[in-house]
Amino acid sequence: MGLQPTYEPPKTAVKLLSLVCKKNLFEEIEGDLYEYYQGQREEKSKRMANLHYWFHMLNFIRPFAIKKLGQNSNTIIMYRSYFKFAWRGMLRQKLQTSFHLLGLIVAFCVCGFIYSHIKYESSYDSFLDNADDIYRVAWMNQNPQTRTPHPMAQALVDDFPEVIDAVSISPIYGSGLTKATVLLKNEKSNITFDEPNGYFVDSTFFDVFSFKPIHGNVKEALQTTWGIILTKSVAEKYFGEANPVGERLSFNGMEDMLEVAAVVEDTPKNSHFRFNFLISYVSLKSLQFNDPWMSWDDFGHFNYLKLAPGTDAKAFEAKIPDWAPKYLGWDEENVEALKTGENKFELQPIQSIHLHSNIRWELEANGSYSYLLIYGISALFILLISIINFVNLNTAKAAQRLKEVGVKKTLGAYKSQVFSQFIFEALFTTFLALALSFVAMYMLETPFNQLVNGNISVADLYQTDVILVLLSIAIVTAFVSAIYPSLYLNSFEAGQILKGLKTTKLGGSSVRNGLLAVQFVAAILMISGSIIIKNQISFLKNKDLGFKQENLLVVEVDDFQGDLEVMKTSIQKSAGVLDVSLVSNVPGGQFNQHPIYAANNPSLRVDAAEMFIDNDLATTLSLNIEAGRMLNKEFSADSSGTAFVLNKTAIRELSLEDPIGKQLNWVNNEQLVKGTIVGVVKDFNYNSLHVPVRPMIMMVPTSFGYNYLVAKVSPANLKETILSVESNFKEVYPEGGFSYRFLDDQIERLYLEETRTLKLTTLLSAISIFLACGGLLGIISIVIKQRVKEISIRKIMGASASQILWLMNFKYLLIAGVSLLIAVPVSVYFMKDWLSNFTYQTGIDPLAYVLTAIAVLFLIGFTITLISMKTVKSNPVNALRSE
Amino acid sequence: MKGTQLGEFEELVLLVVGVLFPEAYGLNIREEIINQTKRKVAIGAVHSALSRLDEKGFLESELAEGTHERGGRRKRLFKITASGKQALERNHELRNSLFNQIPEMALKIV
Repeated sequence: MGLQPTYEPPKTAVKLLSLVCKKNLFEEIEGDLYEYYQGQREEKSKRMANLHYWFHMLNFIRPFAIKKLGQNSNTIIMYRSYFKFAWRGMLRQKLQTSFHLLGLIVAFCVCGFIYSHIKYESSYDSFLDNADDIYRVAWMNQNPQTRTPHPMAQALVDDFPEVIDAVSISPIYGSGLTKATVLLKNEKSNITFDEPNGYFVDSTFFDVFSFKPIHGNVKEALQTTWGIILTKSVAEKYFGEANPVGERLSFNGMEDMLEVAAVVEDTPKNSHFRFNFLISYVSLKSLQFNDPWMSWDDFGHFNYLKLAPGTDAKAFEAKIPDWAPKYLGWDEENVEALKTGENKFELQPIQSIHLHSNIRWELEANGSYSYLLIYGISALFILLISIINFVNLNTAKAAQRLKEVGVKKTLGAYKSQVFSQFIFEALFTTFLALALSFVAMYMLETPFNQLVNGNISVADLYQTDVILVLLSIAIVTAFVSAIYPSLYLNSFEAGQILKGLKTTKLGGSSVRNGLLAVQFVAAILMISGSIIIKNQISFLKNKDLGFKQENLLVVEVDDFQGDLEVMKTSIQKSAGVLDVSLVSNVPGGQFNQHPIYAANNPSLRVDAAEMFIDNDLATTLSLNIEAGRMLNKEFSADSSGTAFVLNKTAIRELSLEDPIGKQLNWVNNEQLVKGTIVGVVKDFNYNSLHVPVRPMIMMVPTSFGYNYLVAKVSPANLKETILSVESNFKEVYPEGGFSYRFLDDQIERLYLEETRTLKLTTLLSAISIFLACGGLLGIISIVIKQRVKEISIRKIMGASASQILWLMNFKYLLIAGVSLLIAVPVSVYFMKDWLSNFTYQTGIDPLAYVLTAIAVLFLIGFTITLISMKTVKSNPVNALRSE
Repeated sequence: MKGTQLGEFEELVLLVVGVLFPEAYGLNIREEIINQTKRKVAIGAVHSALSRLDEKGFLESELAEGTHERGGRRKRLFKITASGKQALERNHELRNSLFNQIPEMALKIV
């Protein structure tokens, strides 16, 4: 019989099938597929036939046909039994297991959270295209600032090929350089908001910042006069979902002045400035001809540059001192300072602004690198403590498993198999902890964000690098913890173990005690550190600021065009209002500044922050008058703005003696105001306590100048007081939006980062000591089992309970003592360093260390006593009889 | 032991095994089902059903000789067992009885 040649089905598919298919089914299945394939090949192309073969082959991957894992594999059966052992072992010692897991989960969670937080904080502005090449030009003199002259941006582009694009921006400032809100109104639908975060931006804004447009042409939008660009959410407030381009908005009551020219995406949260709307410089320039603000004289704009990719920013920065003087028109002294590098223009990489720049007029409160460092170190400490716990407990447990290993070895287990079992069990625990920690992180994400006012998202952790790091931590921990027990247990002969080898001593105690000391050192560093941080922060919060910050109600009046005296009188009438004062700036906000000099000593100029005030500031804020008098509009010199009140620092820096009545000149840009010093106030901290008090000048404004109305209110019935103030406000200014805040809340906000740090360090140091004590507890409970007989004999010989407890405690208290000796100097060194970041420091209180020492020693003693009490109290006969 | 219910597809396979007696095996059962019902059926699905029927005791099987077109692999020939026959009858009767209980009216509307 002539046999037809047959077609061979795809080899890989057949091979795969043979791998996964049950042996007893394989022949018929493969036969059917083979036969099917022959038919297919007769009808179709080889490719199609192969495809069909594959399809049907894969269709066999169903429960009935697949091999049960480990049916015939020794290795798999063995690992399955390891798994079983591990599982049973974990269930047998529930307390220990849950502590093991809990410790690791807490550590993984803390690390995950802190990592996310650090990652978020360092991600600022990285969403911009070319973020690596964008820089802000800052002016670094004795009192560094973020702002530089407007023409500088364009001049840099013109003169240097490496500058591709540049842009000037400026927040919409009110008088006294307070960020102004703008009343925007959609007349058609009568929707009004007091809109904050408005920016003037030059027409090149979108060349530098790649914020994504949604509607309209952003480039053209910035060329049109009185065009406004809105962010998406702001546009929706006024116009709903529809495309608003071409619609009109009123600006501070000027009807339909602005035309919506474009809509862009909302600024991401991790941007170092966030805007609600943008108005082009083109509009500004159409109004104000020869405004000194637009000239080289006024360091009043935020200038951003985009350099060509790969430009060395430092090298470029070095070219500026030779280039700038031709525009600046400075005298020789200033040019000299620029050339020597005493004063300089610095390029700040945009991505480093949030964490590393904290100079005058930052657009928003920036983060702090030093706090992130504290968080990171704390998280690492907790991880270290937790890993040591795991390792220590595993090594201490080794002796308990002697018999198991003996039996295994008699049955023919190799050393490597004993080793692999221990590794497997440790890996099982660490991976379980890792998986559970992700569950825990998801559950704790919101509470954590609320607690520390954070923006982290656990989903960000699903990245290759993070996962790899976490996995390797889990693996390394498991290996380290398994090495000692397996080496130790492997060192005995199987027969010896089964014959009844008794190991009374736990091996590896010196390693374990060393690791214990490391844990204590870490915990002590964290506790003492957090006490000192707490001291410093409460010092900042409670420091006398030189004025009374409580019960001060601040009402915004910057968009009120009417007579403010009427408003003031009206609010003065409100129930519960004690004093009212009109001011341009409030403490805790930002201040404009200009140079001042004594008329008889023009060479000594100092920059002074300025504040426009009225008659009642000193009483409202409870300022202390050092000499002379406060301002009074009754005097013509006062009301014409030629009478000045200075603070003490200003007097000192101007080296004025007997200042009252001295002539003083105030250089308000081009305009020189000549006046007389009529009073001196004691220094008060009008900025945050991160910076020292700088010179200040106060005067009555000649025209518009007041932005806020500050009312001292009585603390009783605050609600009614506010309602009363609001109704009086509305009476005078019915179309205005009433917005108020309390000054101490605003000042509190200067210390947001400190508050967060305080909460976090307290939490983390509590976790660290809890974990360290928990580890100790685990070890002691194992150690004490080994020493039951010893303790019993001692009792029979007449030792008292306290003597035995002392015996148990002594060694560990000694370890704690050594740890204190190591940790305290380290802590003092680092905390001194940290405190030196602050202008106002509390100093290191030795009490912090005394408290730490007492707390640590007490907790250790307490833990040990707690666990040994049962053994110590038990009848010694019971323990001795069982032999 | 698993339940002795007959699923819809299982019943179909069981019937076809009877139809093809004595030459019923995986591949020709599948072909017969495709030809008779125009349903698309994967080979794996047929085998899966066969193995379930085997477990329930409705089928018995033996290996036949290998043939050339199967590359020398043997095939497994299936036969209906007594309990398989009973199960089929039970299903058949149940259907008929239910069908007969439907009032005339209900069918007219359809």
